[in-house]
Amino acid sequence: MFSVTIWGDRGSMPVPGPDTVVFGGNTACLEVRCGERIIIIDAGSGIRGLGDYLVRTELKKGPIHADIFLTHTHWDHIMGFPMFTPIYIPGTSLEIHGPVNFEDETLEQIIGAQLSYRYWPVRQDELAAKIKYETLRETMLDLGDGIKLRTKYLNHPVLCLGYRIEYEGKSFVTIFDHEPYVNLFPTNPTHPDYDAAIALEGDTAAREENAKIENFYSDANVLIHDTQYSAKEYRAGKSGWGHSSYEYAINAANRSRVKKLLLFHHDPNRTDTELQELELFYQAKLARLTAMEIHMAREGLKVII
Amino acid sequence: MSANYMVKVKNYLSSMPSLPTTVTKVLEICNNPRTSPIDLDKVISLDPVLMGKVLKLINSAYYSMQNQVTSLVRAIIMLGVNTVKNLALSTAILDKMVDKNGFRALNMEGFWRHSLCVGVVSKLIARKRMVDSTRLDEYFAAGLLHDIGKIPLNNILSEEYLQAMGLADRERIPLYMAEKRVLNLDHAETGAMIAEVWKLDKPLSDAISLHHACDSYNGSNKELVFTVAVADYYANRERIGFSGSVHPDKVPPEMFDFLGIEKAWLEEIDDLVNKEIEKASIFLKLKTGA
Repeated sequence: MFSVTIWGDRGSMPVPGPDTVVFGGNTACLEVRCGERIIIIDAGSGIRGLGDYLVRTELKKGPIHADIFLTHTHWDHIMGFPMFTPIYIPGTSLEIHGPVNFEDETLEQIIGAQLSYRYWPVRQDELAAKIKYETLRETMLDLGDGIKLRTKYLNHPVLCLGYRIEYEGKSFVTIFDHEPYVNLFPTNPTHPDYDAAIALEGDTAAREENAKIENFYSDANVLIHDTQYSAKEYRAGKSGWGHSSYEYAINAANRSRVKKLLLFHHDPNRTDTELQELELFYQAKLARLTAMEIHMAREGLKVII
Repeated sequence: MSANYMVKVKNYLSSMPSLPTTVTKVLEICNNPRTSPIDLDKVISLDPVLMGKVLKLINSAYYSMQNQVTSLVRAIIMLGVNTVKNLALSTAILDKMVDKNGFRALNMEGFWRHSLCVGVVSKLIARKRMVDSTRLDEYFAAGLLHDIGKIPLNNILSEEYLQAMGLADRERIPLYMAEKRVLNLDHAETGAMIAEVWKLDKPLSDAISLHHACDSYNGSNKELVFTVAVADYYANRERIGFSGSVHPDKVPPEMFDFLGIEKAWLEEIDDLVNKEIEKASIFLKLKTGA
């Protein structure tokens, strides 16, 4: 079986409370199952629930082995790691993969810094699990057992990877955190720094890089895409923050013949009522136009790919 | 005789290529948190060699991009202003540091590793001391460039330089003292001359010309100069790379006190330093074509 279960879908910061009961308040964590293999994408606060679940259900079969793929090292995507119970259980083995920015510390130092006395009572050296860290770049990997994984750099203020997992002829793709590329150079001829050649080159580069991202998730059976903002919010000062709008993600996914789209990385201020309304609005709007299925990501949702 | 040495060094410096103008400009824009994409593009494009190297680095195994990036505009759009700024800074400076033909007495690889280590450790100390993050690159650059004055001595006075290294070793004295005895000129002085030719700003110039004169230093860049001196001590003690100095000055406890760091802390950073150096070694490979 090839499936994905959502353990955390919130962006930026966990937001528990009465307004986030339906869609959940935990930050990014996905559990992907390819047969017996466990692949975890991101270690946001949602990984706590996943860890406890794995201890309840997997441990009786034997030690827990899992691959954790981090999309990037921003805090909301790694903060749950110290509360991932399997790291305290002897016999657990984890391979943690992810990108690190040029000149930053290693992946192990970045994740491990959370496990130092100033932040947490247990140090990285004291963990019972066997943990291997692997820096990841734009690449293609054969994970064995018929699982193929591809990575693609996304547009975010820190080095960030999208993942495409292929298994049993089906494909699952994650695109978060990501903002469409834009031309950063002046395009208005009246701007003092305007340069026609640079403006044109910038437009071409942004268009082509966006096309490469769309190509990366084309024909995906399931795509989980960053949609922290509405187009209106994005235009009103959120450009450059590294996140996409509903409108952009839906149009781009549809152009790329995605079969099922899950809208993800909800803004911390987005309430259950708002998310429900938005989900219904887009489902109704798209029903007449495309066969692509669309859902808001919600904690506990399991999708068979 | 010593007057001749000075003339030789001055002639050498006057014939240095124009690239340092770009280094100064790159440093300038890197220290400005508000650099715009167009500023960055303009500065890097000024120097086709630097631009080529930045693009080569972006297309290197470090990022292992699936598609070649052939324009700087595209690189800035894809990787962002900050990343490209850092790449340009490291490339511009290291380019000056690694010229195989300029190394006769000192071994290039050893000298380069020493300089890189002092740069990396200076930055780590600055970070530990919670120095403003916009100044971290300045600490790195100061450490990397602190021994730049050894390059002309090594290049045009290589025989005398070997004598100075031998003297330092035999008499167990720091290399700068031996340089002074043999050449009547030391690398801090030639470093100061380079800083002037390159129009480096005061903090960098102080770090280069005064890192062996901390006890009498009373200028406004005490934190930076002391940091570089401590990092230099660390690199020599740990024998990371080779600066030519086997018996460097000890760092007095007052300097650690001034910086507010424990001597014992230096013991803890070995792994981090090694990893940082390995990471930066990609530049060396680019330059030497290894």
